[in-house]
Formats: sequence, structure tokens, C-alpha cells
Amino acid sequence: MAKVGVYVCHCGSNIGGVVDVEEVCKHAETLSDVVVSRQNLFMCSDPGQEIIRQDINSGLVDKVVVAACTPRTHEPIFRKVLEGEGLNKYLFEMANIRDQDSWVHANDKTGATAKAKQIVASAVAKARNLQPLEDKFVDVTKAALVIGGGVAGIFAALDLANMGNKVYLVEKEPSIGGVMAQLDKTFPTNDCSACILTPVMVDAGTHPNIELLTYSEIDSVEGYIGNFDVKIRRKQAYVDWEKCTGCGACAEACPAKTPDAFNAGLNNRGAAYIHFPQAVPKKAVIDMAHCINCGGRTIGCEPKISKKTGKPILAPCEKACPAGAINRSIAVDEGGRILNVQVGAIIVATGYKVMEKETFKNLAPDSPNVLTALQLERLISATGPTGGQFLRPSDGKKPHTISFLSCIGSRDARYHTHCSRVCCMYMIKQAKLLKEKYPDLEIYMHFMDVRTPGKDFDEYYTGALDMGINIIRGRVGGIEMLPEGNLRVMGYDGNLAANIEIDADLVVLATAIELQDDIKPFAQKLSLTLDGSGFFKELHPKLKPVETPVEGIFLAGCCQGPKDIPDTVAQAKGAAAAAAVPLSQGRVRINPTISEVDQEKCSGCGICEPLCPYGAISLHATKAGGNPRSRIEMTQCKGCGVCTTACPSNAIRLHGFTEAQIMAQICALTA
Amino acid sequence: MNKCGMYLGCNIPFRAPDIEQSFYKVFPALGIEVVDMEGATCCPAWGTAPSFDIDTWLAVSGRNITIAEQKNVDIMTGCNSCFGVLSEARHMINHDPERKKTVDKNLGLINRKFQGTSEIYHVSHILYKNVGIEKIKENLTYSLKNLKIAVQPGCHILWPSEVMAVKEKNSFFPTILKELCQALGADAPHYSKLNACCGMGAMRSTDQIRSLGLVKDKLISMQEEIAPDMIVTTCSSCYLQFDGAQKILKEKGEIDFEIPVFYYTQLLALCMGFDPKEVAAISETPRDAIIEKIQSGQRLAN
Amino acid sequence: MGVLNLTKLDKNEIIKKVIEYGGKGITKCIQCNACASVCPVAKAGFPLYGRLLYRKLQTGHFEEIIEDSSSWACQACNRCTEICPQDAKPFEIVFAFRRMQASELAISTSAFTPLMNLHATGHSVYSEASKELRVRVGLKAVPVTSIGDEAAQQEIRTLLDNSPMGELGIF
Repeated sequence: MAKVGVYVCHCGSNIGGVVDVEEVCKHAETLSDVVVSRQNLFMCSDPGQEIIRQDINSGLVDKVVVAACTPRTHEPIFRKVLEGEGLNKYLFEMANIRDQDSWVHANDKTGATAKAKQIVASAVAKARNLQPLEDKFVDVTKAALVIGGGVAGIFAALDLANMGNKVYLVEKEPSIGGVMAQLDKTFPTNDCSACILTPVMVDAGTHPNIELLTYSEIDSVEGYIGNFDVKIRRKQAYVDWEKCTGCGACAEACPAKTPDAFNAGLNNRGAAYIHFPQAVPKKAVIDMAHCINCGGRTIGCEPKISKKTGKPILAPCEKACPAGAINRSIAVDEGGRILNVQVGAIIVATGYKVMEKETFKNLAPDSPNVLTALQLERLISATGPTGGQFLRPSDGKKPHTISFLSCIGSRDARYHTHCSRVCCMYMIKQAKLLKEKYPDLEIYMHFMDVRTPGKDFDEYYTGALDMGINIIRGRVGGIEMLPEGNLRVMGYDGNLAANIEIDADLVVLATAIELQDDIKPFAQKLSLTLDGSGFFKELHPKLKPVETPVEGIFLAGCCQGPKDIPDTVAQAKGAAAAAAVPLSQGRVRINPTISEVDQEKCSGCGICEPLCPYGAISLHATKAGGNPRSRIEMTQCKGCGVCTTACPSNAIRLHGFTEAQIMAQICALTA
Repeated sequence: MNKCGMYLGCNIPFRAPDIEQSFYKVFPALGIEVVDMEGATCCPAWGTAPSFDIDTWLAVSGRNITIAEQKNVDIMTGCNSCFGVLSEARHMINHDPERKKTVDKNLGLINRKFQGTSEIYHVSHILYKNVGIEKIKENLTYSLKNLKIAVQPGCHILWPSEVMAVKEKNSFFPTILKELCQALGADAPHYSKLNACCGMGAMRSTDQIRSLGLVKDKLISMQEEIAPDMIVTTCSSCYLQFDGAQKILKEKGEIDFEIPVFYYTQLLALCMGFDPKEVAAISETPRDAIIEKIQSGQRLAN
Repeated sequence: MGVLNLTKLDKNEIIKKVIEYGGKGITKCIQCNACASVCPVAKAGFPLYGRLLYRKLQTGHFEEIIEDSSSWACQACNRCTEICPQDAKPFEIVFAFRRMQASELAISTSAFTPLMNLHATGHSVYSEASKELRVRVGLKAVPVTSIGDEAAQQEIRTLLDNSPMGELGIF
């Protein structure tokens, strides 16, 4: 005989404003096996919880039903109360009379109260049939995987490594550094980006606990929190990194030409290249997609012998390399090789890209003097295509008038409705840097709004006004192309309330931040989803910003949403802390409300195996021979119930949602 | 396709019938049969029904479209405004079920039914897509080699791009008219105000002085940047504006030059050897000199 | 201009009317000014061009602006529609305002002439002089359009008479 205690919550006016809690409470008392029925303004508060504690302690109740909000947020709270009083925490059932009742039937108080009574009756029916369950635990691999070697990935990896965890830091480019390595200076302090980034890059590259795996990508991820099995593809570099010293001779010798992505396409690089001068690791790779196979000699072919000298005719890259790191005669596997690792937690820090200018047809994208802000950043950078000299692309002349356009592709129903968050600040940064260096430069900045919310950010903006930079409120609708590469910006000054024109030498577009084109297949590999703006979706927008719906996989940096460097580092540290929890606990809890096969009842028909969406079921031979029996891997099972309902022998039991419990609920609801 | 319904509008048949004549000359010669749309009315012009009541607009446009539907042909028109009115009407009827219901009811009053089977094209689209640049080149008697053209595509042939059957790759930097002019052998260089509005139409009726301000900006951009031999447009409204405005501006002392203006098919007809007295006879800005230059023995193509 | 007391204007009523007449995007406009930067009406110097008109309507102006003819200079060029980042379809708001003006007969008398021509002949623009021009270039004096087609004219009159324009009393 069960002794069920029913506790009905007002939840302030959320429930109490619609449902007659008093009436529901009284009704509950009339249900069989209910020994007590109480109510409280906030059941989850300390006094509310105390009521339940006392009833358990006094032996009055041995099964608890709380009629309140959603188990999604509050079930753990009440389960803790039971556990604290020595009662099995799975002898608890929550009746949702808020989300499923008062919130959706706000205009029908009578109906809502009647429904609440039914929901409570159903919960009581289940509670009568609840059985105690025990949590199970599995060991955790004390290692982490960080995917992405930008500033977010680097800081996350360092924090985890400093805590004593082994960290695999995987980066698809030949070097870590990400977009921050492409920046010249960083706001609001105008530090040189490379100067503050390279020390942490070197730290990450030399940390005893960090295994740096650059020029690598994730091939597959299997498993679950604490026990992920990851296959990492180490791409084929066609350069022996054991021997390569990063001298760059091969890059200089290579005759091939392809746009240099590090310089945002402003100049070309060869097929053999080093990512950038401060690369970590500083190793060369040969981009075989753009290799022109000098002399018609593809990889794996022996060189021809010169008739004149009798020596082999080597490719320019082979010849140039002083360390003998390039040997094109070896038929290496173009797919590279797979490295298989086990980790307990994964942090996704894959960063972002900016939209290309070609998308914006009304902004004269064919003009070489219309640039994205990232391209301008490379142009003024000392390691950029002009060695930091501010010369415009069409004719190498020094610009006299330049216009910056904000919100290109952002806050735009045709492309991305989100605000890219960092553009107002970086546009002002670029304007200030240029104005400092070239006081005669006339700078016009066309904003929709000026968004500068961080620490010292608004002072950064007002400082720009002092320098004589022109701020205009009004979005730009088009650019006319004048002779000799000049441009006319068709703008509007919202405060003057007048159409304006700016005759400019150079126009800079602050294009929207978005994720890479191939992010969807990557997300699918990790069973992660993207939100409405195309960024990785966090578990809860306010309270779980680094977690994902997949336990054990965390997010850090712009892959979760546009943000600046301070926020990125903060989030990376947060992700590292969250990832460290399972790693430091050493074990993870397996939810016991999952399915289990009764080996005696199982007939070995195998219907369940292909039905499981998580691949948790497999058939095993039994010692006695005869038919195999089905077994469910508890670490994979999510308790969805598909196998349970499909089994023709009724051999599978879904703990916490048994047939007896469900039937009792149905009977109570249809009474 | 080798035949198309010819939607004339109002300005072309009544103010510039030489443009109409040029259609009847060039299209059959290039393999497109011109099908008359008997009983067609005004599209209706932007300043009429569309400015008063949407359903009336859709009914009048719908009626015009049914004339072509009954003959099983698509529609081509030479006026950009008509092109815009008809394209937007068709798009609205096809995408808004409520509007379609009302159109059906209204057309029912005159025993017509809108099917949605006829597409709306501009004559330049038919020349560009159905005839093609190569065929145009093959049918020329005279070449415009070494002559410079300032192109004026107009507005309604470019925007809103989502309702059009034929779109430019980049409507803000259009190339179709440029390529059609280049097919005649001429250069058609870019000038900064190429995609700006000429100020004709509703604006001119509302305030002529402000309207002239816009066309003056365009003329000055053309003259200063590329000094063209002629202006070529695919919009009958732009044609009337450029042709008529220059005399007024000159009298006011605002410009001191003169550039002859052609509607594209007039120029094409001239290059194909047709009689200027039929295809390019009516203009305020004199064209005799340039026409003589074009149809001279020294310019024989091939 | 002095001080404008916004609470004294009935913006909900005006916005409702604008939406009714086809300007569905009026509440989406965030006044970013992209449309104004390319609008020929604004560039030509008319006082009540696109973006400003939408602000006036959003704040409940109507009687105050009903006599302004700037909206009748709109070419329907649709540059605004093409580039509006809120997809507010600005052109449709201008024409909705025109329709509101027309319903109150707050339009210049010259705007009636094309309408009356349309009713009489099926063409908003017509002149007798066209006959001579047409013959001069080798065409028939009268084109195949409704101008010489009584049945077609009857059809157009039926459509116009049975529309809200029929109630304006100008046909």
C-alpha cells in the first residue's frame, strides 16, 4: 500500500492565478492511497521543500507527487529532497499543471482547474506504481578534445591542460590562431593582435598536456559523455613535418598561384605555403588542389634524369628545401591518416567567417576599391599584402577619402537578421588607427546605430569624434562607380534629414559574421543543431550558454554566436570549467530511467535492434547456445521507448515508465 | 518560341509610333512573329488605377493579360512602366489567393478568366534571350564600330527583380542593354549615373523642374565621363524624357551639348537597313546627322 | 516646426488604414534610411519622400500631410523594395498613402485627366495628333488597341464603374 503525498504549488500567480489550487488540493485528498495533500505559494522554496521533508521524515508519506511547473527544470530539486531524507529519489512524480495547464488555458479558469485535477490524478496513479531505482556510474576518460585552434580553442585547451587533463587541440588550418591572427590591432586597447596572441599560441604549442594536431579535421565522433571515441583525420601535408624547419624556401620557390585566404584574397600564395609568419607550428604544407605539378610530375612519380647533368630534375619545392622535408617520389596517401583517440569531453570552438562582398550587388562589388573590413585589416597589417602600407588595390595610390559602411548583411531580412556585434567597434578601431597614422585622411562612417556596450567601449567611440572622424546615421543604399576606380557612396544623413553623397577612394564594408559553408555536415557528425541564425545552438540561452543538448559537448567562441575577444575568452574559460566537471569527477551518472531486456523473456527475434535510433541494442550469443538474446547498452540508451513498445514478447521494460505505470495513468485520465 | 503578343501601352502608339514601327520591322526579320493584342488598354499606368485601388489595378492588368492568354502567346512590351505594372500585377495575382478571388470576380463581370499562362517580357528580353546576340550580329547591314553609346536601361526593367521572368545578374550594374548595343558593334562604356532614374513619368507630371534636375545629372554624367555619340534606351518613358528635356535644358543654359536619343529597336532597325522615315522619324533632339553616319556605305557590316 | 505632442495623434488608426490600403510593411520600418539614400523622389528634392513619409504615418500624421504631392512623384521604380533590410516593401506604403489621399480626393486635378481618359478610351494618354504621326511613319492611323474598339472600351468601363473609383464621381 502506497502512502502518496500530494503537494500543489501556486507558483506565485503563474498557476494560482488560473487554477483553483485549493480545489485541486481537496480533490487530491479524495484519491485512494493519498494520505496527505498540501499546498504552498512556491513549492520549490525552502519552506516549500521543508513541508515535504517533514512528511517523509515522520513516515507519513513514502511516495511524493508535486503538482507544479516542469520537471525539466525542477525535478532535480525535488528528487534531492527525497534523497536527503533517505527516500529513493525515483519515488517522485511531477505533475505539470503550469506549462501544460495554467499557461495554455489562461482564459478558462474552470476548465483549467478541472484539467489540473485530472493531471494530478494521473500523477498519483503513476506514483502508486513507482519502484525504487538506482543510479549507475561509468568511468570517465580523463582527456578532452578541443575542436578549433582560434583564441577560444586555445584558451579552453590551456585551462583544461593546466587542470591536469590531457587535451587534443585539433585545427583544420596548418597553424592555430584563427581569425584573431589575421587582425592587426584589437579594441579597445589597440594592442597588436599578434603580440597578445602569439604567447598563448606558443603556450598551447609547448604545453606538456596539449597534443597539437593542426592541418587536421574530425572524421567521426562516437560514444557518450566520459567516453567519446573520436577519429581525427591528419590531412596529407606532402611535407615531412619531422624534418620541416619552417624556413619558407618552398613557398618562395613555388610558381603556382591561388588567392591567399589568410590575406582575405587580396594577394596570392603558392601551393606550397606557410600559413603566416608567426604560425604555430611553423611548418609548410603543399595544397595539392592548387599544385600545378611542375614538369607534369604528380606525387609518387620518380623524377626524370637530366641528360646534361645526369642528376634527377627535382620540382622547385623539392630543390629549395634545405631539410629534405619534401620528396615527391613517395606515393603518400592523399587522404592522410586517421588518429583514433578517446576523450571524456569535447569543446567545439570552430569560429566563424565574414560574408564576401560579392553578395551585395548594389555596393559595386566588382570595384577593387570596395573591400570587406577583414580585407582592410590585412591591408593595414604589417604582415599583409602591402607590408602595412595603406595603398588602394586598383592603382596603389594613397586614399584621401574613405567611407565605412556598417550592417552589410547583418540586421537584414534578406541575409542575416542578427547583429554581428563587433562591427561598430572594429570599424571605429580601423578608422582611429588610420586617422592616427594619416591625419589628412577624411573618414566617413555610415552607421544604422552605434553599438559600443563593453568596458571602455563608448569612450573609444567618443574618442573617435575628437579625432575628426565623421559619424553619419543612415544606412547606405548604393555605390556608384566613377572613372579611375573612384566611388560615390549614396548615403543619407538621418540627423540632417538629407540625401548625401561621398566621393571616396576606398569603401569598406562591415560584412556579417556567419558560420562556414560546410558547418552543417560537421554539426551532424556531433549531433549538434544550429539555431535560427545559423550558429550552434546552446542548451539554454541564458542559463546554459556553453552546454549543448549532447551531454559532454560544449561550445566556446563565435561558433555559438558573434562576440568580441573579451567575451570569447570568458566563454572559452566557462566551457573549459564545464568540460572539467565530468573529467574531475572521474565518473558520470547513467540515468536509470532507461530500457532493459529481460533475458528470460527475450526470444531473440531481433526486431528491436534496427529500431533503436541510438544504436544501443545488439544481439548476443548466450552461454547455453540456442537463440541469441537482445541486450541494451545502458550508456547509449536514452529511454525513448521505441524498442519497449515494439517487442512482441513484452520482454523490454522501460524503468520509470513501465506498462503498469502508464496503464494506471491512462485509467486515471479516462475515469 | 517564335511568336509573341505585342503589348503597346499608350505612349508608344500615340507619341512615338516610329518605335512601334521598329518592332514590326525587326522582330519578323529576326524570326519572331509579332501577334497583335486587339482591344488592349492602358496597362493601367501607375498614376491611375494602382494609385486608387489595388483590385481595380489587378482587374485591368489581368484583362490585358487574358487577351494574350486567349491567343496562347506570351507578352512582350516596349514600355518599362507597362512592363512593371503587368509583371507586378501578375505576381500579385499568382501569389495572393485573396486577390486572385477578387480578380476572378471582377473579370467575371466581363466574361474573362485569368489563367496565369502568359509570361510578361520586355522586348529587350526577347531580343536577348530568344533571338540572341549572335543572330542579331548576323542580320546587320551597318556596323556601329567606333561609335560610343550611353545606355539607359531605366528602372522598371530592373526592379523589383523578384517579379521578373528575366533577371540581370546584378540589377544595380546591368549588362543586357550594354550587350545588345555591343552586338551592333558599338562601345557601351560605364558612366557613374548609369542606373539612376531619369525623372520621367509620375515625377514629371508632379513637378517638371525637379524631374529635369534628375535627367540633367544623368546627361552631365554621360557627357563628362564618356562623351557618347548617342543615348540608347529600352524604355519609352526614358526616351521621351531624354529626347524632350535636352531642348528645355539648353534654353535654360543648364547644358551646352546635345546628344541624339534612340530607342534600342530603332537603332537596331537602322543597323538592319530599315528606312529611318519609318523607324526613327519623330524626335525633338535632331538625329539626322547620326542616322546618316550610321547608314553610310563605310559602315557596312561584313 | 515647434513641438509635436505625439500622444495627440491617433497612430493606431492611421497604421491600420495604411495596412488596409496595401502598405503591410509599415510597422516593420526601423527608419534605417537605406531607401531614402537611393530614392529618386528624395534625390530630386521633394519634401515628403519615402522614409520621412513612413515616419509621419507611423506617428499618426495624416490630415497634416494629405495635401503634399510628393507621393505622386513616386516612379514605382522599386529600388527601395530591392534593398530594404527589413523587407518592409516601402513602395507599397507610398502607394497605400496615395490611395488614402485619393479616397479623400486630396490629389491635383491633373491626376484626374489620365483616369478620365482611361474611362473614355481605355488609354490614360491619347491625342488626336497621333493619327497624323502614325500615318507618317507608315502605320494605320488607329492602332489595334481599345482606342478603336468599342467592345473593349465597354469592358474597361464596366471594370472602372464597378470599382471604388466609380464612386469618385469623375466618370
